[in-house]
Amino acid sequence: MEVSNSCSSFSSSSVDSTKPSPSESSVNLSLSLTFPSTSPQREAKQDWPPIKSRLRDTLKGRRLIRRGNDTSLFVKVYMEGVPIGRKLDLCAFSGYESLLENLSHMFDTSIICGNRDRKHHVLTYEDKDGDWMMVGDIPWDMFLETVRRLKITRPERY
Amino acid sequence: MGLRLPSKVLEHILSFIDSNEDRNSVSLVCKSWFETERKTRKRVFVGNCYAVSPAAVAKRFPEVRSLTLKGKPHFADYNLVPDGWGGYAWPWIEAMAAKCPSLEEIRLKRMVVTDECLEKIAASFKDFKVLVLTSCEGFSTDGIAAIAATCRNLRVLELRECIVEDLGGDWLSYFPETSTSLVSLDFSCLDSEVKISDLERLVSRSPNLKSLKLNPAVTLDGLVSLLRRAPQLTELGTGSFAAQLKPEAFSKLSEAFSNCKQLQSLSGLWDVLPEYLPALYSVCPGLTSLNLSYATVRMPDLVELLRRCSKLQKLWVMDLIEDKGLEAVASYCKELRELRVFPSAPDLDEANIPLTEQGLVFVSKGCRKLESVLYFCVQFTNAALLTIARKRPNLKCFRLCVIEPFAPDYKTNEPLDKGFKAIAEGCKDLRRLSVSGLLSDKAFKYIGKHAKKVRMLSIAFAGDSDLMLHHLLSGCESLKKLEIRDCPFGDTALLEHAAKLETMRSLWMSSCFVSFGACKLLSQKMPRLNVEVIDEHPPETRPESSPVERIYIYRTVAGPRMDTPEFVWTIHKNPEIGVSHLAIK
Repeated sequence: MEVSNSCSSFSSSSVDSTKPSPSESSVNLSLSLTFPSTSPQREAKQDWPPIKSRLRDTLKGRRLIRRGNDTSLFVKVYMEGVPIGRKLDLCAFSGYESLLENLSHMFDTSIICGNRDRKHHVLTYEDKDGDWMMVGDIPWDMFLETVRRLKITRPERY
Repeated sequence: MGLRLPSKVLEHILSFIDSNEDRNSVSLVCKSWFETERKTRKRVFVGNCYAVSPAAVAKRFPEVRSLTLKGKPHFADYNLVPDGWGGYAWPWIEAMAAKCPSLEEIRLKRMVVTDECLEKIAASFKDFKVLVLTSCEGFSTDGIAAIAATCRNLRVLELRECIVEDLGGDWLSYFPETSTSLVSLDFSCLDSEVKISDLERLVSRSPNLKSLKLNPAVTLDGLVSLLRRAPQLTELGTGSFAAQLKPEAFSKLSEAFSNCKQLQSLSGLWDVLPEYLPALYSVCPGLTSLNLSYATVRMPDLVELLRRCSKLQKLWVMDLIEDKGLEAVASYCKELRELRVFPSAPDLDEANIPLTEQGLVFVSKGCRKLESVLYFCVQFTNAALLTIARKRPNLKCFRLCVIEPFAPDYKTNEPLDKGFKAIAEGCKDLRRLSVSGLLSDKAFKYIGKHAKKVRMLSIAFAGDSDLMLHHLLSGCESLKKLEIRDCPFGDTALLEHAAKLETMRSLWMSSCFVSFGACKLLSQKMPRLNVEVIDEHPPETRPESSPVERIYIYRTVAGPRMDTPEFVWTIHKNPEIGVSHLAIK
């Protein structure tokens, strides 16, 4: 399993679809100069603060170790609102189903994939571009390559 | 007229001249000096691999023993340069292999190195001794195996923070079965486990081994067994400390460390639990370098460790050290020369660490020899900067990253202009400077005026207008590398100071307002600059006044490069041709 820490190239399909079209660029550039965490473009780029990818990944808790034919991929899992996270070896699971089952057990509540609603805890993940995505959208193998950490969201309150 | 120095005599004199700067000067005196110098130069440094052609270098310096090259711009470290930009090592390896068979050492930084490159190195240089790859990518462990197997006199093999296609740990078994001449081995960036028995045997048959940096896959047990076999190590990068603490394991670890009486540098320490730190106490008094940037250990435990490190010269640590911890460092580590403090929570909304500007002030006051600083902090004050400048006029490298962009002095709400003015004025030997926080054009007026020795300057989210760039390009006499991101201007100052750019190695500007039109003008004006536009969209499809995403401008005698990918556009010198995209597929 190949794992890359480099930023996605322009030709890959993970290009940010919110990038401004050429005629809008002068307007949107000024938007991108606002405070980074409020700018979706900035957050997605993983280029601020200026630390190297390896450190960034380590801080997020992602660690890949290969022993012979076995691989372990440790990531951190947080439940929204709970400061202490847990560490999980994603390679111990065969796929999304067993992951969900295990997490539900670990956090003692039912957790689902899918859209947020008022009833359920939903599992999300941060991908290598810094975007938070719904778990379950992509093939398991691809997921392992891109996932940086997991977050279990609380049921929405309006 | 013309007393000529016999070339043998000149050669002898030159054998005492090591510095490349001096040798460059020597080579300019006259033709015969140029000839003698070039035939005797042993160490060649090329700061930008596209500034000159590999063939020209190989031809000029046939006796070169050591080659150092740098490829991608520095901001590539922070994901600002898209994959595939360039920086290929192959043309260099090929050229060296053809003309310089005596090459023994290759050091590459931010370059794309393939297995083919590594195999070529192994096959071409009979007495190859040193391979150091820093932040490189493009090769696999197969390439490493080729080096290990073929380079019988290999002394140094260091893979520093590279991205390697890891096909498993077998590469280690390719080192010669008889004793090796290894002095330094660093494979800390690899993911795969290497067989501990292979590693033990390698260490046992490498009597000259002084530096060993393991990857996280090496366990504590493995570490203990290796330390027993190599108590002569001066530099150690541990594997992962993630294991349940058993009393017997702890005492074995402690004992192994206490037998390493020459250990000066320690790094690695992934997942280290505070309970393990006492095992390191015995080596602390001898340590001159300690890298804790992967150790998420917190305060009291950190101080317990650091207060024993009275000889420490270099400390890399996370902001978990807090102001209190740095106060302790200031009182115990009086020999400190270099401090780097990294953020433990890069996402601002998680930031909650009691590390403020005060921590750096403590160290500046207490550590008289402090000359190099990299400090990440949420916010800062002018007062702190003034104190730091006053206390440490001997600073050579000052890199402050205020994590919150545009953050003013949080006590007075003013820009940090005064503070950086004090740094530029007070630290007369400053070679490298990174600024951040809220900064107006004025700050750069001071920097331009006073920072006479600064060679490398990094700027993000700063300034009001083109004046900022104007101040820097009309001042800063020694400026060689300038990298700017997210500053909303560019055209006027760039065009006005085009000539300055030829005195510099490179200029990087991303997310600024540099228009395509200005890039074209600049390129036409300055034939010996490569003006590269790095943009997802072809610049010609937009109005000339619209800003481009990134530009990278560098001086070169090699002309526009032939290996640009789709998204890099080298502005052609001939205005009729416009933008050229010369790519060899």
